[in-house]
Amino acid sequence: MSAVAATLRTALADGWANRSSFGFQMLLMIVNDITWVLFWALFFNRVGTIRGWNPDDVYVLFSILLVSSGAALGLLANSRRIGQLAADGALDETLVLPVAALPHILTMRIDAALMGDLAFGPVLFLLAGHPTPERTALFVLGSLAGTVVLVGFLVATGALTLFVGGRGEQGDLGFNAILLFASYPLDIFGGATKVLLFTAVPAAFVTGLPARLVRDFDAATAALLLGMAAFFAVFGWAVFSLGLRRYSSGSVWMS
Amino acid sequence: MSPYLAGFSRGFRSTVVAPGEMAVRMGFLVIVLVVMAALWTAAVDANGGSLEGYTRDGLLWYVFAAQAAVIAVRPRTVEEVGEEIGSGAVAVQMLRPVSVAGLRMAIEGGEALARLTAALLVGGIATWVLAGPPPSVGALALAVPATALGAAANIASQHAFGGVAFWLLDAKSSWFVYQKLVFIPGGMLIPLELLPHGLEVACRVLPFATMAYVPGRLASGDADPALLLWQAGWLAVLLVVALGVFAAGQRRLEVLGG
Repeated sequence: MSAVAATLRTALADGWANRSSFGFQMLLMIVNDITWVLFWALFFNRVGTIRGWNPDDVYVLFSILLVSSGAALGLLANSRRIGQLAADGALDETLVLPVAALPHILTMRIDAALMGDLAFGPVLFLLAGHPTPERTALFVLGSLAGTVVLVGFLVATGALTLFVGGRGEQGDLGFNAILLFASYPLDIFGGATKVLLFTAVPAAFVTGLPARLVRDFDAATAALLLGMAAFFAVFGWAVFSLGLRRYSSGSVWMS
Repeated sequence: MSPYLAGFSRGFRSTVVAPGEMAVRMGFLVIVLVVMAALWTAAVDANGGSLEGYTRDGLLWYVFAAQAAVIAVRPRTVEEVGEEIGSGAVAVQMLRPVSVAGLRMAIEGGEALARLTAALLVGGIATWVLAGPPPSVGALALAVPATALGAAANIASQHAFGGVAFWLLDAKSSWFVYQKLVFIPGGMLIPLELLPHGLEVACRVLPFATMAYVPGRLASGDADPALLLWQAGWLAVLLVVALGVFAAGQRRLEVLGG
């Protein structure tokens, strides 16, 4: 078994050790997700279709977001904590190990609550996404690409702490921004905001384009999505690796 | 200085001297306003320029005030209170000759005032840029104290909910659920007038509407002072409930041992 798989298995076993707490936190997150579904139902009930998006399209978008955020923030929970770990000097414990630092850091902790997103996303797609073999395949592909973009972006913004200092505040802001923008239909945004979503805060690649592909497949859009996923994987890795050269030990005294 | 006033002052100062956390919150507020502006603009455009009397600009000022009132408050108080009770840390707080809940609420009130001031300033400017001037300056003037009353009601309500941990000994992640009560029944995400009639009536009976809907409704241009009385009434009730829950919970700890 590779070191990454072993680390992830240990993290899962650690989270699963307290099963009642694990299950309770997942359940609460699912209740949270259902509330958002209720919001969209109420919204569309009163407002009707907006800019070509109907409730079913938004449920697909939301299910992709749940899977992507569940994988990025639940399975790879440290993806949003890179800045804080760097500020606390907590990278030391990984750097002494004979493994690649970033994969180990990403897989060493899970977040039980966000695993609820990962569980509920596919259920929502099955219930409201009109699944066919083609749509399901595109849902899986889009969710995977969205996960890679999200992790790459979060790692990059968190790793900026290694260059600019602080406690990862810019990473927190990036985290909030990308999840918020990714929660809404891409076509409600226009002008500069839309440009932002394809560049600095790449929410369009987390949910917008994947949802568009499920609705109406287009090879060029699929190629763009996969290309951007590859780019953000490399980008996150590069920013973290370059930042690591500037990292000096936190000199944290352990008891 | 009374211990509660000292706690309030401490909360205010500790928030002001943490500019990083404040900057993140204000940045988040601006992003929320941009997203909501896009959403409600699309919704109003699709419905002939108005939704239940709300114009696009009125809705954006609604969102501003509702969000400012909510973002000013610590989101995880329910969970934190639960952890303090579950871990036994509350027993140390009970040694002080002051009300545990009263001091906690005073500290969080100070923190909320600092964040609310920043949110009104930053959010007000952002909304002005996105929507233009407010529909009614008089109504907006009433919305300012309404945001403070809404934040206070939210703090008291979170303590009342969190205090249940005296019996359950766990409130982990329950803040998710509480938060959603403010989101929809509270009118933070969507004005109550846009909900189906039965749900709207139910939401008006619950206290959560005083935390987001009332400031939003006032800022949207409805200068109805009775809305402030509605808030003040629920704030008084929630304070009594929060203090009562903690008092009963503390008596239980004293009887059973912490």
